[in-house]
Amino acid sequence: MGELVKPKDFFLGRIDAPMRFEVEVKLGDHIYKYIIAFEFPEGFKELRVFEEGFAVDGKPFYTREGAQVSLARAGGEKEAQFRIDWHLVALPIVQEQSSKDPLSIFKQWLAQMLILRPIPSLILGESKEETLQPNIQVNDFAAWFSGLLAHAPAAYNDIYAHLKQVMPDLSDIKNPVIGTDSRSLRVTFSNDQGGNVTPPFEDLSDGEKCFMICAVVIAANKAYGPVLCFWDEPDNYLALSEVGHFVLALRKAFQSGGQFIATSHNPEAIPRFSEESTLVLDRKSHLEPTLVRPVSDLQTSGDLVSALIRGDLEL
Amino acid sequence: MSVNHYLPHVFVLPEDDANSRLADGFHDEVEWTRYRQMQVLRVAGGRERVLELFKAQHVKGMDRFTKRFVVLLTDFDGDEDWLEHARAAIPEHLTDRVFILGSRTNPEALKIALGLGFCEPIGSALAKDCRDDSYTSWAHDLLRHNAVELDRLRDHVRPILFQS
Repeated sequence: MGELVKPKDFFLGRIDAPMRFEVEVKLGDHIYKYIIAFEFPEGFKELRVFEEGFAVDGKPFYTREGAQVSLARAGGEKEAQFRIDWHLVALPIVQEQSSKDPLSIFKQWLAQMLILRPIPSLILGESKEETLQPNIQVNDFAAWFSGLLAHAPAAYNDIYAHLKQVMPDLSDIKNPVIGTDSRSLRVTFSNDQGGNVTPPFEDLSDGEKCFMICAVVIAANKAYGPVLCFWDEPDNYLALSEVGHFVLALRKAFQSGGQFIATSHNPEAIPRFSEESTLVLDRKSHLEPTLVRPVSDLQTSGDLVSALIRGDLEL
Repeated sequence: MSVNHYLPHVFVLPEDDANSRLADGFHDEVEWTRYRQMQVLRVAGGRERVLELFKAQHVKGMDRFTKRFVVLLTDFDGDEDWLEHARAAIPEHLTDRVFILGSRTNPEALKIALGLGFCEPIGSALAKDCRDDSYTSWAHDLLRHNAVELDRLRDHVRPILFQS
C-alpha cells in the first residue's frame, strides 16, 4: 500500500474523506470497472483499504469492505468470503481461473499500461534482460526493445517502417549479444554514396531517442495491445517541425485499438488533438483543487493556442 | 528532420481553429506511409490574414521548393467574390500549386448541416472522398462551390497523400 499512495497524497491533508480511484475500460465487448478507496484513520502510519471492487458489465466479480472480501459466484452458488490484511490490495491476491477469466484479462491490461515520462539522457543501448513493461523514465528502453522482439519478432518491421519515415537515412537496427548475457542496440545510418555511420546508441540525440520510443510504443500496441499509453509531454526534446507529425503518428497508431493520452503545454502539440478529446486542467490557487473541462465547452476569443498563451482560459 | 522539402508535400494554412481541425481530420486519413508529406500550419487568425501570411511567408518557400503545394483553408462567409479575391493574391506562377478551399459560410454551419458534431470527422469524411475519388461530402450545399478547386486538388494532391 505504501508504494501506491501516501498520507501526503490527501489533498491539503483532508483525511476526513476517503481517497477514491476508479478505472472503467472497454476491452472487447465487455466493460470492466475497478474501484479502490483508501482511508487514513487517526493513529495509523499508512493508509488502508476502505473499499474495493471489480465488476464486469455491471456484475460484481468481487467486492470488499475493509478487510472483508466477498467473491461473487455464478448461478445459485453462495458467495465466498475471506479476510485479508487491510493494508493489502485484493486485486493481485484474488486468483483467476484461466487466462480467459475477466480478472486475468483486466490484470493483463493493467500490467501492459505504458506510463512514460522519458529522460533520454538516461537511455543507453545495453540490456541484460527483457521486459514488456518499461519504467516511467524509459531508461530500460533497450530491455523493452529486446522484450518486444522476443515476444513478437514481426514488431521489428513496424519499428523499422516508422523510423525510416522519420529518419530516411536509417539503414539498420541491430541488437546483438555482447559478452555473456547482454545485448547492445546499434542504429546505422547510410547515404546514397555508400557511406554509413553507427553512432553509440547513447549518443543519439534526445529527439532521436524519443522517435525510437514512439516506434516501440506503436509496435507494442500492435503486438500485445490494446495498450493504454499515457505519455507526459511527448513533445519534449523534439524539433518544432516534428511535433505535429509525432503526435499524429501516435494518434493514427491508436485509431485501431488502445488509447493514447498525453499532457502537453506545447502550442504545436495541443492543436493536433481533436477538440472532443482535449481537456483543460487548471487550478486557481494552491489551496484549490485542479479543475478539468473539455476544451469544447470553453468559449475562446480567437484561436485556442493564443488564448492559452494569453492565459485567458479560466475554468 | 521534417517534411522532406524535395519530395512532393502539402502545407495547409488554416484560417482558424475550426478550419485547422478540419485539416487535422483530413490528415488523420492520409496514408500511413505518407502522412509526413502533409503539414497543418498554425492558424492565421482571419481569412485576410491567410492571404497576408501566404504572400509574406510562403511565396519564397514555394519558389525554392518546387514540389510544395499549399492549401489555403478559409471560410467563404457567404461571399461569392472571395475565391476571385483570394486568387488575385496568388502570384501567377504559383497558381497551379495553390488551392483555396473552405465552407460556403463557416465550419460551424457545416458541423450542424452534416450532423457530425465536431470538425475533425468532417475533415476525415472529406479526405475519404478524395481517397476514394467520390463526392459524397464535397457535394453538400456548403461545400460544392469548391468543385473547380477540388478537381485541381485531386489531380495534384491526391497522388501525394493517397495511393492511386
